[in-house]
Amino acid sequence: MHHTRTLRAAPLLLAFCLLAASCGGGRDEGGSSGGGNNNNGGSNSEGDGGEDGGIDTSNCPDTDTAGIEGDTITLASSFPQSGLTAAFAQISKGYKAYFDKQNAAGGIEVAGKKYKIEVVDKDDEYNASKTVQNINEEVGIEGDKAFAVFNVVGTANNVAIRESLNENCVPNLFAATGSPAWGNPDFPWLVGSTLAPYSLEAVAYANHLKENQPAAKVAMLVQDDDFGKAYEESFKTAIEGTDITVVDVATYPTGANEVASQVTSLAASGADAFFNGSTLLACPNALTEAEDAGWERESTFVSGTCISKTLMGLAGPAAEGVLATTNIKDPQNPAFADDEAMTEYLATLEEFGEADVDPENGIVAYGYTQAALLQHVLEESPELTRSAVLDTMRTIDTEGLGLLIDGVTAKMSADDPFLAENLQLVQYNSGAGHFEDVGEVIDFEGQTADLTDPSLINS
Amino acid sequence: MQLFIDQVLNGVNIGVIYASVALALVLIYRTTGLLNFAQGELALFSTFITWWFAVEQDVPIWGALLISFVLSFIGGALIERILIRPVEGAHSPLNVVIVTLGMFLAVNALAQLIFIKPGQEALQMPDLFPSGDLAFGIRKSTVGFAVVLIVECVVLWLLLQKTKLGLALRGVASNPESSRLVGINTGNMLMVGWALAAGIGAIAGSLAATRGSGFDSSLMQQILVYSFAAAALGGFDSPLGAVVGGLVVGIADSLTIQYVDALDGIELVVPFVLILVVLLVRPNGLFGRTIVERV
Amino acid sequence: MTDTTMNTEAAIGTPDPSGTTGISWLRVVVGVVLAVVALWLPFNYNPDTNTLFAQVFYLAIAAMGLNLLTGFNGQVSIGHGAFFGVGAFTTAILTVEQGWPIEATIPVAAVLAAVVGVVVGFPALRVKGLYLALITLGLAVLFPRVTGKIVKGPGGVALLQPSRNEVSSYWPDLLEDDQYRYFVCLAIMVLLFWAASNLMRSRAGRAMIAVRDQEVAASTVGVNVAGVKIASFALSAAYAGVAGSLSVMVDRVADATNPLIYFQRSIEFLIAVVIGGAATISGPLLGAAFLVFVRKRFEDTEALAPALLGGSLMVIIYVLPDGLIGGYRRLVARFRRPGPSAPDRSPEPPRPPTPVADQTPA
Repeated sequence: MHHTRTLRAAPLLLAFCLLAASCGGGRDEGGSSGGGNNNNGGSNSEGDGGEDGGIDTSNCPDTDTAGIEGDTITLASSFPQSGLTAAFAQISKGYKAYFDKQNAAGGIEVAGKKYKIEVVDKDDEYNASKTVQNINEEVGIEGDKAFAVFNVVGTANNVAIRESLNENCVPNLFAATGSPAWGNPDFPWLVGSTLAPYSLEAVAYANHLKENQPAAKVAMLVQDDDFGKAYEESFKTAIEGTDITVVDVATYPTGANEVASQVTSLAASGADAFFNGSTLLACPNALTEAEDAGWERESTFVSGTCISKTLMGLAGPAAEGVLATTNIKDPQNPAFADDEAMTEYLATLEEFGEADVDPENGIVAYGYTQAALLQHVLEESPELTRSAVLDTMRTIDTEGLGLLIDGVTAKMSADDPFLAENLQLVQYNSGAGHFEDVGEVIDFEGQTADLTDPSLINS
Repeated sequence: MQLFIDQVLNGVNIGVIYASVALALVLIYRTTGLLNFAQGELALFSTFITWWFAVEQDVPIWGALLISFVLSFIGGALIERILIRPVEGAHSPLNVVIVTLGMFLAVNALAQLIFIKPGQEALQMPDLFPSGDLAFGIRKSTVGFAVVLIVECVVLWLLLQKTKLGLALRGVASNPESSRLVGINTGNMLMVGWALAAGIGAIAGSLAATRGSGFDSSLMQQILVYSFAAAALGGFDSPLGAVVGGLVVGIADSLTIQYVDALDGIELVVPFVLILVVLLVRPNGLFGRTIVERV
Repeated sequence: MTDTTMNTEAAIGTPDPSGTTGISWLRVVVGVVLAVVALWLPFNYNPDTNTLFAQVFYLAIAAMGLNLLTGFNGQVSIGHGAFFGVGAFTTAILTVEQGWPIEATIPVAAVLAAVVGVVVGFPALRVKGLYLALITLGLAVLFPRVTGKIVKGPGGVALLQPSRNEVSSYWPDLLEDDQYRYFVCLAIMVLLFWAASNLMRSRAGRAMIAVRDQEVAASTVGVNVAGVKIASFALSAAYAGVAGSLSVMVDRVADATNPLIYFQRSIEFLIAVVIGGAATISGPLLGAAFLVFVRKRFEDTEALAPALLGGSLMVIIYVLPDGLIGGYRRLVARFRRPGPSAPDRSPEPPRPPTPVADQTPA
């Protein structure tokens, strides 16, 4: 009997051994520098960032050059690769093709030496807590592994990692959402991508209405979270003092596709303009539902997150004439067929892209563009340190890189924490199956802070 | 008033889908006494099959639906034979639950891998019914869904009440031991139960996919929770209960969205509060039979 | 599922006639080896792996909580993710917004989760089996949505993170952060497992099992069925709450941004219980280790991961229908049966599988 009772404990031992065996590797193998350096300020890098308006590195750990081995710079990323939002993984196909091309040509030159770019990424299924784990592993809890974080998808996902990356002074570049919170001065190590802040989309539509529908009665459909709030509040602020009114706002649960009842409610509100702030499948669903409900309206605006080939294609005729904003050239638009940047993009994807990647997919073009901007930042950086790269990023001033629409600037400064603020209003042509430009590029450069509710930025 | 009616019709439109899935859940429960977590995902897989035949193979949509129904029927039987049989009557009913959970995880992932091209957010199912209104704001699709559901119910009723197979199925459901003693092959009956449920799931999923502009692999996850609620409301062993439950849940949800701003984003509270209230008053649901507990 | 008859662990609830008389040397050896291994592990592995171990520990605690309710008391819950979430957000709110030391929030998390458990336990008196599973499922699905309405963390999202200092080691010279968290989780897990083990040997534990096996009969012999059920729910929820609380310490995040996240947690707990072995004491730990290990292994397969996880679950259930512990016991029994050296009392053979009768409404 003793034996039996003893043996009963053995599975515990087995469990430990199983895990121990499976996880492999000794403590130091992981590359942890050890040493509880929670707050060992003193040892700054030599980077000249600390002075003349650059990033303050006085509280940073001594890891300013982590993630560089030989001639390879390692970047870390985390984005959904399985599950419902796996389509976002296509962003990485765009930038990987771009980096592969640069690597094949010898690499990107930083401070006189050529480096190859390697991106390590993990699947987070769009779960913010999983993003935290992934980034912790890739960057190291002490921030001593990957050089920088690149293109993490999702607002909550970036919010979830920004604090620890801030503490470890690891740049989190090109955060792939348009949250106005990327302008929060408390998190200087986090920089947004060329996705313009959501608030600007709302302002652009408001401006369009002021000119074309000055007495518009607007009904809004927004997601029940910060994303929806950014649209709603920014739009309401933008129409202050005009004859435009918001007659109804309907919300739908984050991640839901079913919006029929919400749209029925909006259609009955007597509105003649529809601000469709929904995303993913809810967006085309709302458009077809509005069509089915026989909602007579003069204009419809959709979120910039909805302008993909698939989503607009699903809405089909119901999407005819809807307005949206973008700052990336649409690979489907024949107007760009002879565009030099577009030709180069298609050639790059042809040669370096994976076989199953669709170059016409707008988010592949988006990923490609972020990579081109990152290359620019690295090349401009006076030295290859985290602080120097961040400082260069935050003083970037360029245009025409990647597939940025001509006239769209990528510009940041000490007072302007937003990368891309210029927008092109576009209109969907359902017959041709692509968006067409409406008017000139709208210049919001440096104005995001004035046009956005401060609570959205400083949250 | 028109708005109220429109919202009720919206509720009916989606409620019919909830009812169809609930019907499948009820069928499995009646024959096996089991809550099938994978029901929705199996229906999703069937929906992808319908889509594949209709869109990739250019089979007319009704033909594609029929093929999918037949394949799902066979698939359901095979799943019972191969995957469920080994754990039936095992140590604990939890084992069957775990197997259905395993299927829940696996089938969704497989369906995505097989049918969705990388980078594609969603697929489009050809319409089963013409769009537009029939009269009084009632959509043709709503009527079509309702007709399909009624046909399903009638066929099931005939099958269960008027055929020998139905008698055997009911026998196995209410008393497996005695059924075995009178010579009913309980194993085969369980298999038929799974096959029927999978077939009905195929129809429900395909119908659901024609709503809205397109569908993705979350199609059934969003529906399943409501269908569970519908089945529970109806008493879980009553097909009529499933139908009533589905409609109640659909209409309640739609009206909540329209009239209860406080529940914006958490409309899902309503069906569960409904279930709780119903179960507290009638522990076996609206249409459920009383369970006699033996010591 | 009304008469859920589990594979009963005979030793639990029945006093051990010989085991109480003394401590065998073998038990001491295994105990010491275990302790040494547990103490040695965090110093041998890197922080990532230690975090993984800590995750096993908190997952095991939650699974033990569910095991108390489902395995020993026969009430199926798919809502334990919600109790876990209550614990996680209690700890996160108290730490981040009120500045509490994170360790001090653990009891509060346990109590609050228990309170929610009692609230859910009341309907459970009338709602059984399948229906209970459904109501609790609703709880798990609703929790993140309701939380998302109430909790607005930084950036406006329902996600709270304690800062690094708030979860750092108290003795940085002795233990690094990851090692410290490992030991906190280990200590609490050992404590709670020990408590569960003792409970199941006590009168109260036998009452729980009696309610599971023969509810009506139990009430006729004076067991307060309602009281036992609600107490089981509360205790079980408290375990899950502690686990949620520890998860905030280990993962540094309480997250309600994904509507299905706590439903997935619920499923994880259920899997850990059944894979490890329902109604056993060490089962939940084994199940938790299995889950964390398998998930880690399949991580790089990206889109295939859920399929592989689902498939391996099914395989395990086919091969070891009574869980890892059950399989292990059968193995031991097979080795011992032919041995002539144990004539006094053979180890309890696994009970013949009880036919699952009366599952369907009669």
